[in-house]
Amino acid sequence: MLPDLHALQQGDADVWDEAFRWLWPVVLAVAQLKLQLYFPDEAEDVAIETLEELVPKVREVKTVEELRPLAASIAHHRAVSLLRERFAKKRGEGKTEPLDPGAGGEGSQHEPAANDSPLAELEQKELAERISQSLAELNPPQGEVLSDFYLHGLRYEEIARKHGLAVGSVGVYLQRGLAALRRIWGHDGEQL
Amino acid sequence: MPMSDQRFFDLAMKAVAHQATDTERAELDALLARQPELRAEFARLQADTRLAREVLPLLNVTEATAPELPAWARGQLQTKVRETFGRRPAPERAAERDALGRLWNWLPEIAPSGPAGAAEGAAPGMFWKWRWVLGLAAATAVMALLVLPVVTRSAPPLIQVAMLDTAGATRGSDTNAWSLLRQSWEKATIDSFTDPQALHTWETNWPAPNKSPVVKVVFDPATGEVRLLGRWKGDSFAKTLLVEQNLATTLEQARSFIKDRTSR
Repeated sequence: MLPDLHALQQGDADVWDEAFRWLWPVVLAVAQLKLQLYFPDEAEDVAIETLEELVPKVREVKTVEELRPLAASIAHHRAVSLLRERFAKKRGEGKTEPLDPGAGGEGSQHEPAANDSPLAELEQKELAERISQSLAELNPPQGEVLSDFYLHGLRYEEIARKHGLAVGSVGVYLQRGLAALRRIWGHDGEQL
Repeated sequence: MPMSDQRFFDLAMKAVAHQATDTERAELDALLARQPELRAEFARLQADTRLAREVLPLLNVTEATAPELPAWARGQLQTKVRETFGRRPAPERAAERDALGRLWNWLPEIAPSGPAGAAEGAAPGMFWKWRWVLGLAAATAVMALLVLPVVTRSAPPLIQVAMLDTAGATRGSDTNAWSLLRQSWEKATIDSFTDPQALHTWETNWPAPNKSPVVKVVFDPATGEVRLLGRWKGDSFAKTLLVEQNLATTLEQARSFIKDRTSR
């Protein structure tokens, strides 16, 4: 059961408790996604700040379903801002040591992951809208097939077995999923 | 999509994901040499790959459901709620509860024949009258519980059927599929789509809720699937059936599934 938007907009404490429990996993996961490599200890603080920033924005949303993508978008921007600040500070201090044992120093191939992320250039609201649209358009199992191929490195045969699909249809799902991503996020990333 | 295009796509995808075997890589290179115009498409798929690797993790975590909010964070967040909405929500709710309690206490004064009045020594006749009212109300509720499911169960499902044919609806196999769909759901309208996006719009466009369940049946020849999407009584369901033996058998399975889900 989703929290009641009207009650949230009225400031009902109990319903806000419910909303915080619902949104917490999202904002924490987004913060961890961006910060786990360099500043994993900051993820929880970023998640809390995200929810605090979200509270007044609830007046601007029309449906409660909008809150998750919006929370994810805020968390993403906050995490990227923190990375930019910290990297800028390090550069200002002229430090050259690696930011974490497993990564190169600042200016290495890892740092642009924070600064050059095409998603970071999107306005908060626009990013939230694109997340929301992607979740709505990637019908099951399209999103899972894309993730299995790109993020988990599964082969066509493994994906077919996992989702009970014909091997020949895996490519069709990938193609349609990519077409949807391209349509929503911009052709070849140029609009990002 | 012609088979050769799909083959190129599959080879290119495997190549960009470093999953192509030597044979597949050689086949792709030969295709690119033979059709240089495919190089632009290959470059586009490489760009798509970068986009997907950036976007998909964010989409995945947006649906996360664990872990739980730490208890220590609650106070800080509730402070923000109070600051934003300019009041103290919890005490206000307590005040509402107090008001309800007062209303409950006034009931014996408004209707002295009620239970509180009886307990305080009102006439026994008035007490029995009150019990009659309660008894009638309970009986009405029981009748409603018994009759309503019978009424709602009798409404037949509204079936909507669609077929996705990205290659165009002129081949013999599609005509056959169309006939089978028509035989399975004689009264349903059958729409045909060549664009997956248009089909998606159709899938997400539901008629206003009424007494009947609504079920959308989608046949996708390219993936060899029959998808069933349904809505009834504020609930929704989805099921994907693979066309393993033949389409007729799968459509029969679909009919059984729909009957089972909409007769509950």
